[in-house]
Amino acid sequence: MLRFVVSLCVLFACLAPAQAQNASAEDLVRRMAIEVTAQVRKNPELVHSPAQLAALVDQRLMPRFDFNRITQMAMGRNWPRASGGEQNQVVTEFSKLLVRTYSNALASLKDLDVQVRDSRSNSGSDVTVRTQMIGRAKPVAIDYTLSNASGGWRVYDVTVEGVSLITAYRDEFNGIVGSSGVPGLIAALKQKNAK
Amino acid sequence: MIRPFRSAILATTLLAGLGVSSVACAQSPAGHNDPLEPVNRGFFALNEALDTVIVKPVATIWNTVLPKPVRTGVTNVFSNLDDAFIGANHLLQGRGKDAMTDFSRFLINTTVGVGGLIDVASTQNLPKGEGDFGQTLGVWGAEPGFYMVLPLLGPSSARDTVGRAARIASDPRTYLVDAWSYGLTGLEFVQIKADNLDNANLIDTSSLDKYAFTRNLYLQRRAAVVQSGREAAGAR
Repeated sequence: MLRFVVSLCVLFACLAPAQAQNASAEDLVRRMAIEVTAQVRKNPELVHSPAQLAALVDQRLMPRFDFNRITQMAMGRNWPRASGGEQNQVVTEFSKLLVRTYSNALASLKDLDVQVRDSRSNSGSDVTVRTQMIGRAKPVAIDYTLSNASGGWRVYDVTVEGVSLITAYRDEFNGIVGSSGVPGLIAALKQKNAK
Repeated sequence: MIRPFRSAILATTLLAGLGVSSVACAQSPAGHNDPLEPVNRGFFALNEALDTVIVKPVATIWNTVLPKPVRTGVTNVFSNLDDAFIGANHLLQGRGKDAMTDFSRFLINTTVGVGGLIDVASTQNLPKGEGDFGQTLGVWGAEPGFYMVLPLLGPSSARDTVGRAARIASDPRTYLVDAWSYGLTGLEFVQIKADNLDNANLIDTSSLDKYAFTRNLYLQRRAAVVQSGREAAGAR
């Protein structure tokens, strides 16, 4: 009997951290979604001021995204071929582009609500949190993949209706690096951000 | 009698079908199958130009002039017609339960929802499904084959073009008199474009090479649609 109780305790001790881990990741995604949409709803004029909207996204959301890892995965096999300086430049410019994309999307998504559906642990310390945006005719499925590698949860991929953000950019980045090298990619990102 | 525009699509499809066997294995190193890239980029540029000059302005005016209930009504009528096709495809995929939902939606929305104008079914716990002939071919095991950009219609794959042709051939609108056939197809086209203006603008701001970006989004999305079809067919 005692052995049974002990093994039960051990089992729970092992399970509990995994559940707590998922819960904290879910919590982060929920907070991210609520905070920003609440801000936009409180100040509807934000939608007409791209700079302010970008500042809000930059301040509230961006610390929760692992841009180093996102860029690394989007560059794929070209990442190790770039110099340290080039890598930093791509990370900086790519994060600017993503902030802008996210701010633009927010303007049209402000009246939608986000529901966290569930989450599952992947290999290693990664967790995928599945959410859906409701408010349109059909709910939109958005999955966030987070890792806890460097202290604190950070998002490194977003999948919208089965379309992964990282994979979408990888194809594009590959093509540009193939034809004009990493400097070409940095130039293209800079040019896009300057528009 | 099939209209010339449609015969063009059917012809493209036939060509695509012939090509599938020979080129389907020619994967490029970047991981996408796009042997027609130069031609595709040409059609892509054409579609972009048409979008800028005609389609987007018309869609924008459409959204400005027509009140929201009218636009929703138009979207719903075409979506209702589509439900019958979604049901047929779910049947072909062996998803009887999903097909029941689709046909119930079609029945309820056509009658209670006044010819599909009002989506009553969605409020009755009958959610809209996702299905088309391209998905069915995928569930049956067909690979997407090479990527294609169709004039006016946009991104597709060899498999999905075959699916599209099957849809056109089985659509009652194809066999209406010319004016109605073109009119209804045009109306649906404008409404779809108007519904997707936000998405189109989003791709504009987020992509470096819009052609490559669109291609990737399309292929990923279609793979997900087929995968969800396979899962549903397996879980029935």
